[in-house]
Amino acid sequence: MNNVPGNVSESVLEIKGLEVVYSTNRGDVKAVRGIDLDVRRGEILGIAGESGSGKSTLAVALLRLLKAPGKVTGGSVLFNPAGRSPVDLLKVHGEELRVLRWSALSYLPQGSMSSLNPVMRVEDQFKDVILEHAPERKSSLHEMIPRLLAQVGLEPRVARMYPHELSGGMKQRVLMAIAVALEPDLVIADEPTTALDVTIQRVILQSLADLRTDFGVTLMVISHDMGVHAQLADRVAVMYEGQLVEVGDVRQVFKDPQDAYTRQLIESIPKLGRRAS
Amino acid sequence: MTADAPPVVAVDKSQDSAPSRGVRAWLSRHPLAAYAIRRVGIYFVELWGALTIAFFFFRLIPGDPVQTLIQTLQQNYMYNQQASTELIARYQQEFGLTGNMFSQYLKYMEKLVLHGDLGPSLINYPTPAQDVILRALPWTIGLLGISAVLSWILGVILGAIAGWRRGKLGSAIATNLSIALSHVPYFFVALILVYIFAYSMGVLPARSAYDSNISPGISLEFIGSVLKYGLLPGLSIVVIGTLSWILSTRMLMVPVLGEDYLVYAEAKGLKGWRILTRYALRNCYLPQITAFGISLGFIFNGNVLVEQLFNYPGLGTTLVTAIQQLDFNTILGVTDIAIFSVLTAVLLLDLLLPLLDPRVKYWK
Repeated sequence: MNNVPGNVSESVLEIKGLEVVYSTNRGDVKAVRGIDLDVRRGEILGIAGESGSGKSTLAVALLRLLKAPGKVTGGSVLFNPAGRSPVDLLKVHGEELRVLRWSALSYLPQGSMSSLNPVMRVEDQFKDVILEHAPERKSSLHEMIPRLLAQVGLEPRVARMYPHELSGGMKQRVLMAIAVALEPDLVIADEPTTALDVTIQRVILQSLADLRTDFGVTLMVISHDMGVHAQLADRVAVMYEGQLVEVGDVRQVFKDPQDAYTRQLIESIPKLGRRAS
Repeated sequence: MTADAPPVVAVDKSQDSAPSRGVRAWLSRHPLAAYAIRRVGIYFVELWGALTIAFFFFRLIPGDPVQTLIQTLQQNYMYNQQASTELIARYQQEFGLTGNMFSQYLKYMEKLVLHGDLGPSLINYPTPAQDVILRALPWTIGLLGISAVLSWILGVILGAIAGWRRGKLGSAIATNLSIALSHVPYFFVALILVYIFAYSMGVLPARSAYDSNISPGISLEFIGSVLKYGLLPGLSIVVIGTLSWILSTRMLMVPVLGEDYLVYAEAKGLKGWRILTRYALRNCYLPQITAFGISLGFIFNGNVLVEQLFNYPGLGTTLVTAIQQLDFNTILGVTDIAIFSVLTAVLLLDLLLPLLDPRVKYWK
C-alpha cells in the first residue's frame, strides 16, 4: 500500500521558508518560523508535534483559512495540481482561490468540531460543494453520494440525516467522504482522529488509508498522536516551537530518531507493562 | 469495506414496544399530534388567564363610567336635570356593572365567548365596542402590520449584511448609526418627517388616512390616496423599526460567523452569498422569527403616538379616546385583541419552528 505508482518524487506542495505570526498587543508571536517542506504526490505525510508547536497554524495557513490576528509574513507555497498550472498558494486571491478549493485543495477538519452545517441534510452538504465546482455531475449525484458514503462505511440513508443525528465517528466519516468527493490533489486533515474513542480511531485511520488507495489522493495529516503517524503515514515531519526538527520516512524516524524532541514524542506513546509512576 | 466498521445507524425501537390500543398509544405513535394538542391546550389556558387578568385589572381603575356617560350626555344635550335612579340602573345593566365583581366577570366572559360581544361602547354609545374596534382594526393592521413586516424583512437582510461585512467601513457606519438612532422614539422621527415633507415641502399629507373628498371604496383613486396618506406614518415606523432589527440581527450573526461550519464552508470554496444565506443567516434567524411574533403585540398598542400624531383612525387613536372617556368595554376590547393576537402568533410560530429548524423538537 505504501508503494504508490507513478512519479513519486513529484511534489504536490513545495513549502519554502513559511513564516506565520499572530499579532498581539504585546508584540508578534511567531507560530511558524521558516518551514521548508515538500509534500510528494500520492503520499501520506504526517505532521507531528505537541500543542502550540504550530502544526494547526501551518494547516490553516496552507488552506488559506488563516484569520486575523494571524498573518503570513514570509515564504512561498508552490502548489502543483494535476492538469493545472502551478500556483503560489500564498499569492492567489478571490475567485482564483475559490475555484482552486476542494477540486484541488480540500480540507478534513476534526469531526468533533461542528464543521457540518446543523440545519442542512448531509446530502445537501455534498451537493453544494459538488455543484459549485463540478456542475456537470448534477445528473449523477443520486448515485455519487451513496457511493461516497459507502466508501467510508456509511449506509445510504445517512444522506437524509442531519448532523445532530450522527455520532462523532459518523460525522468524521461524512467529512472524509465530502473531502474526497471531487478527487482533490491534496487533502489537509487536521487532527482527524482526535476526540474519537480508540476503536473508532482505528476504523477512521483504516478508512483514510483506503481512501488513498481508492482515490489516489495525497494526504497531509496533522496529529499530536504519534500512534496515528505510526499507523498511517509514509513520512513524518516533527514540529517544535514553529520549526521542523525532523523529517523522514516514518519507519526510519521511529526506529532511529535523530532529534531529542522526536525521541520524547515517540516515548510518550503509552506501552503496556510500563506505567507512569 | 472495513470489516470492523460499525456503520449502523441507531434505530428507535421504542415505538414497537408501545401498546397498540387506546388514546395514549395513539398519541405515542403520533408525537407531533400529541405535541400540537398539548400546545393548543396550553394556548387556551393562557388565553383564558390573560383575559381574566385584564378584566379584573381594568375594574380596579377608579371612576364610574355611567356617571361619565351621563355627564357627557348632559354636556352634549344641555340636559341639566339629575339622572333618575332608573336611568342609572339601566345603563349599569347595559354596561354589565350590576352584581358583584365575580358575577360581572361571568357575564362578560359569557358574552365574549358565546357571542363575541364586548358590550356597548361609551365613546360611540350605543354602538357595541366590537364594532368600534372592527372599524379601526383594518387601518391599524394595514399601516402598522405592513410597516412591521417591511421593517423586519429590511432589518434582517441589512443586519445580516452588516454582520457579514463586520470590520468594513460600510458595516461600521451602519452599525453605529443604528446604535445611535434605534432608540429615537417613532413620533420624533414622525415629527421630523412631517416637518420636511408636509410642512416645508408640502408634498405629502400629514393628517388622516385618506383624502376626505374621495369616497371610500375599492377604487384606484381611493387606494392611491390611502397609500399616499399612509406614507409618512409608515415611514416613521419603518425607519426606526429597521434600525433595531439591524442591530439585533447583526448581534445574532457575529457569533455564528465564528462557527466551525463557516470556516468549512469557506474551505469548500462556496460563493460568498451562498455562505451568507445558507450557512450564516440560516443558523441565526430563528430568534428573529420569535421576536417578530412578540412584536406583533406592540402593533396594537405600541404605536398609539404615531396614530395620534397623524390623526390616523386606527386602534391606537380609538384606545386613547376610550381611555379619556373611561370607556371600559372598548379599552378592555382593544386589550383583548392584543392578547389574542400575540398568543395566536406565538402559537403559530411554535408550531412552525420545527419545520424551519430540524434541531427544534418539542416531542420526544
